[in-house]
Amino acid sequence: MKSQHFLNILLGIYIFIFLTYLFGPLLIMSVTAFNSAEFPSITPWECFSWRWFQEGKIAYDGQHLAGLSTDWRLHDGLIKSLIIGLGVVCLSVPIGMAASIVLTQVHSRLRTIFYSVSIMPVLFPGVIIGISTVVLWDRIATIGGEGFLSDIGRNGIFLTILGQTCFISTYCFLIFVARLQRFDQTQEEAALDLGASQTQVFFKILIPYLMPAIASAAVIAFLASFENYNTTVFSILSDQTLTTVIASKVRLGISPAISALALVIIALTLMAAIIYEILRRREDKKKKERQDQLIYEQTKDSRLKKEKTGSFKIPKFIFVIILLIIMGTFGFNQLIKNDLYGNKCVSAAESAKKSNFAEQLKLLQQNADTVDEKSLEGGNLGGNQDYGDIFGDENLFKDFGGFE
Amino acid sequence: MNSFFKKNGPLISTYFIIAIVFWLIFLIIIPQLYMLDLSFRPNLPPLLRGGPDDVHTLVHYKHFIFGSETSNDPYNYVDIGVFLNTIFTAIMVTIINLCFCYPIAFYMAKVAKPNSARLLIVALIIPFWINELLRSFALRILFAGEGVINNILLATGLIDTGINFIALDIALYTGLTYAYILLMIFPLYNAIESLDTNQLEAAKDLGSSTFRTHWRIVIPHAKAGIASGCTMVFMLTAGALATPVVLSSPNTYWFTQLIYQWFNMNDNWSRGSAYSILLLSVSVVFVLLMMRIFKVKIGEIVR
Amino acid sequence: MSVLFKQDAFLIVFKFKFVKIIISGGIIMSADVELQNISVTFGSFYAAKNVNVKIKQGEFFSFLGPSGCGKTTLLRAISGFLDPSEGKVLIGGEDMAGIGPNKRPTSLIFQNLALFPLMSVADNIAFSLEVRGKSKNERRKRADELLELIALSGQGDKKVHELSGGQRQRVAIARALAIEPEVLLLDEPLSALDLKLRQKMRTELRAIQKRVGITFIYITHDQGEALTMSDRVAVMNEGELEQVGLCDDVYDYPNTPFVATFVGENNPFYAKVVSVDNNEVKVESQGNTFLATAGKINENQNHSFSPGDEVIMFIRPESIFIKNDNNKLDNFFSAKVNTIEFEGNLKNIYVKINSNIDVRFSVPNAVDTSELSSNKDVELTFSSKKAVVLPKGQLAVD
Ligand SMILES: Nc1ncnc2c1ncn2[C@@H]1O[C@H](COP(=O)(O)OP(=O)(O)OP(=O)(O)O)[C@@H](O)[C@H]1O
Ligand SMILES: [Mg+2]
Repeated sequence: MKSQHFLNILLGIYIFIFLTYLFGPLLIMSVTAFNSAEFPSITPWECFSWRWFQEGKIAYDGQHLAGLSTDWRLHDGLIKSLIIGLGVVCLSVPIGMAASIVLTQVHSRLRTIFYSVSIMPVLFPGVIIGISTVVLWDRIATIGGEGFLSDIGRNGIFLTILGQTCFISTYCFLIFVARLQRFDQTQEEAALDLGASQTQVFFKILIPYLMPAIASAAVIAFLASFENYNTTVFSILSDQTLTTVIASKVRLGISPAISALALVIIALTLMAAIIYEILRRREDKKKKERQDQLIYEQTKDSRLKKEKTGSFKIPKFIFVIILLIIMGTFGFNQLIKNDLYGNKCVSAAESAKKSNFAEQLKLLQQNADTVDEKSLEGGNLGGNQDYGDIFGDENLFKDFGGFE
Repeated sequence: MNSFFKKNGPLISTYFIIAIVFWLIFLIIIPQLYMLDLSFRPNLPPLLRGGPDDVHTLVHYKHFIFGSETSNDPYNYVDIGVFLNTIFTAIMVTIINLCFCYPIAFYMAKVAKPNSARLLIVALIIPFWINELLRSFALRILFAGEGVINNILLATGLIDTGINFIALDIALYTGLTYAYILLMIFPLYNAIESLDTNQLEAAKDLGSSTFRTHWRIVIPHAKAGIASGCTMVFMLTAGALATPVVLSSPNTYWFTQLIYQWFNMNDNWSRGSAYSILLLSVSVVFVLLMMRIFKVKIGEIVR
Repeated sequence: MSVLFKQDAFLIVFKFKFVKIIISGGIIMSADVELQNISVTFGSFYAAKNVNVKIKQGEFFSFLGPSGCGKTTLLRAISGFLDPSEGKVLIGGEDMAGIGPNKRPTSLIFQNLALFPLMSVADNIAFSLEVRGKSKNERRKRADELLELIALSGQGDKKVHELSGGQRQRVAIARALAIEPEVLLLDEPLSALDLKLRQKMRTELRAIQKRVGITFIYITHDQGEALTMSDRVAVMNEGELEQVGLCDDVYDYPNTPFVATFVGENNPFYAKVVSVDNNEVKVESQGNTFLATAGKINENQNHSFSPGDEVIMFIRPESIFIKNDNNKLDNFFSAKVNTIEFEGNLKNIYVKINSNIDVRFSVPNAVDTSELSSNKDVELTFSSKKAVVLPKGQLAVD
């Protein structure tokens, strides 16, 4: 018995470590979004600032580091991502639904083959789906000459929608298959028997039944499309989506603006999760109340009568929120007190760094030779290779919003 | 076919057929076949395609093995090295993930109370709604030369000079392990959850040790989940691009990065295709291997 | 009037006044159904084989048979979900080949009811009008009428899962009746209900049929259900019809050993024919000789036997009596009491003849059986009129 107890404690510690591993990096990243320093970090903490959510800054060495609200590439990418996401939802949900319904109608060998082909795309590496889409459509565009085909065949958004639809349809398919497994097919027959045409059966029986699956498939499809990188980076051609913009930013200069972006996404995610959870609980409660009421009505059993005297319970999470608000205000006050917030602090830090930078520049010039040697040691790949460093990629550089 | 139309009516049947043909044929099968074909063709400028020079050739696969004609090495050590390293690392990541996730999955499925298990599930899902790139970025902040970890270590005096986590590939391996951990937990969780708790109690009753219970009862029961989780993690790790782009050191390549280079920077699409086919073959072999080892059907792997 | 529409007063609803509701206009639209040589195969397996039967217009007709004998299959062929591999389905004299289930004048009540869980009760009932493009008002009106009919007035806005089993049953019936079908097909609709409710629903179904006057084709594996409700029954076994006839005919004059044992209880005696005199057959079974009646082949014809034939003689438990001065029939045998089973209105007494043949007979509860304890010898008697001789064949095992 004792060893069991010990084991459980061990498990608890393990889970704590695991969660730290999952959330720690995200938490630290979120905090760095508020550090005014141009390198995302915590420990040399300069000032608390919102600049990375707003206009960014002009660095002491003259670089312009864009903030969230001023970075037009991010905005442009975001819009394209939304368009693509919408397109993918519109294609993959109907495709997944059709495939899953047909799966219920075919049998034995054909069913196995059909199912295997349908789930293949999730087993393909994303890059391969991107590449195959691009090469095929480039060929189609070439053959198609100057007209419509060549326009869409070389349109990054169109190709990305197709490429993503290829595997996101499988996600939708799997969602629908799971829901259809619990579908009572005699309902369809009953509807037919009552005189409905096949089309009516589809719209009046099947679609309403599948509605929850349609909703979740749409959400999943949109999210999967929105955050896809592997396929998109190939199929988007010369365009940019949010993820490819982020990728080029992240790869080059690691700027706190990205932390800010991540924080926004995390906040949205958390909000969605909380809202979902609240709605679910409310729904559950409502359902339960109705159930109780019905049982009471039907059985007239006095034992089931619901006492309406139950005290009003304050949900626990309200305490958590209040605690967070108190801590937040307190911390903020401390920041202001210690002059770690506001323009004064930022400008002080800036001038300090500028002089520091000037000194370092001098130092660098003195040691120019040594530095040269060091930097050579870095890349020992290459040699007989006929390709250079991946950073040499024009695509990555050209759309990088950071240096302007 | 006739009964298909009769069952669904003309309108819906047409919709079904269009949707499925479009998907299976035009989105899945034809692009892959065309890419396969392209991988056997020389890299020609668009004008020469379909001309007399456009013949089937093994030149790209030869390049992968023997290297370019101008090089002196008998084999293409760099590319083969990258290829093998990618596979090896992906396998390691898969194994680490499996060991790492098993206790969690077991805890969620059998130890935790339903409510806390639910909460844990939500907690696990949230980080994975956040873009893979951003998650890698978070790790980069931790591991960068002047990153959080180095600064802490320096400040506490544990080390004198910063550790270059990125050049040592520690950042990359951590990032890859981090990236797809959820896809290991959920299949395992689902599989273990379906195990009858009575069996565990019976085993305990019979005096089986904790380790033995897991080895003889839980793991055999969860084999489909293990196969599924391992396959997904391996596939995604071997095919990962976002995490390596953010976290790999300048002199380490992931195989997908190689493909990317051939494709986008050197504009050699057919060689990019050939390398893609290599990656695809690895994936296929791995899936078949998993199906063989764990004796599961493909439908049990992807769910 | 409406005071009477209590949940329990379902039957009262079927006052003549409401007949019109169902059969709007007062014209009874009912059709006969004829199955001509129907066979249904799944692969090489015959789910139904050479079924020939003519079901009369306005009749309550039951198919009775054990689980898996092909009853549902037959019903699906009638309603059009299944194309028979051979043969024809005629409804109202019209060949139904190529006509889909949504075009046939039949309504089917499914084994699991198949109510639409996402719709309200009223929407369920009015579904057939909805798909015919009827206006909302019309639908509402019709739903209200039918809800009143099934004593669920005012509950139209509930969801299906909020109803009790019996209420769901009635909703299914109302839904099927909403389009005024000519033939109503029912696939074991009562099997999910508990005993009391099932018995109540039997009477109600029969009442509905009487009032509505349309053809009911009812499927069940419960012979009690079939016998209480139907005008005629067809007994099925392994895809084939064993016997079609009036309920009491099927009970009293089974054509085959299967029917004899499947419908009601029966004691089989494996025997050999000793002599035949017209319809009176003398048989010998394990040292006892009995006088019995030759069974029928069909409604008009009896089996003919000759001495030496291997046969089975059937005698029902309620036709065997304890022999005493008042009760002396033309057959006797002695046996040893094995057990006595109390079944409410009856007592079942199990005895053994020659310590190997099990025989069961039943006496009303009022009969004093205090003398019949285990292992006691008892003299029994039965009438040759009630003993039926049939050629050897398959029995129903339950
Ligand atoms: N689609 C099918 N494919 C193959 N065999 C079938 C199919 N449908 C029914 N059968 C077989 O046909 C036989 C008759 O089935 P049916 O459903 O008609 O039985 P039933 O008499 O209605 O039984 P129950 O009382 O259990 O409902 C069964 O043995 C069944 O296995
Ligand atoms: Mg049936």
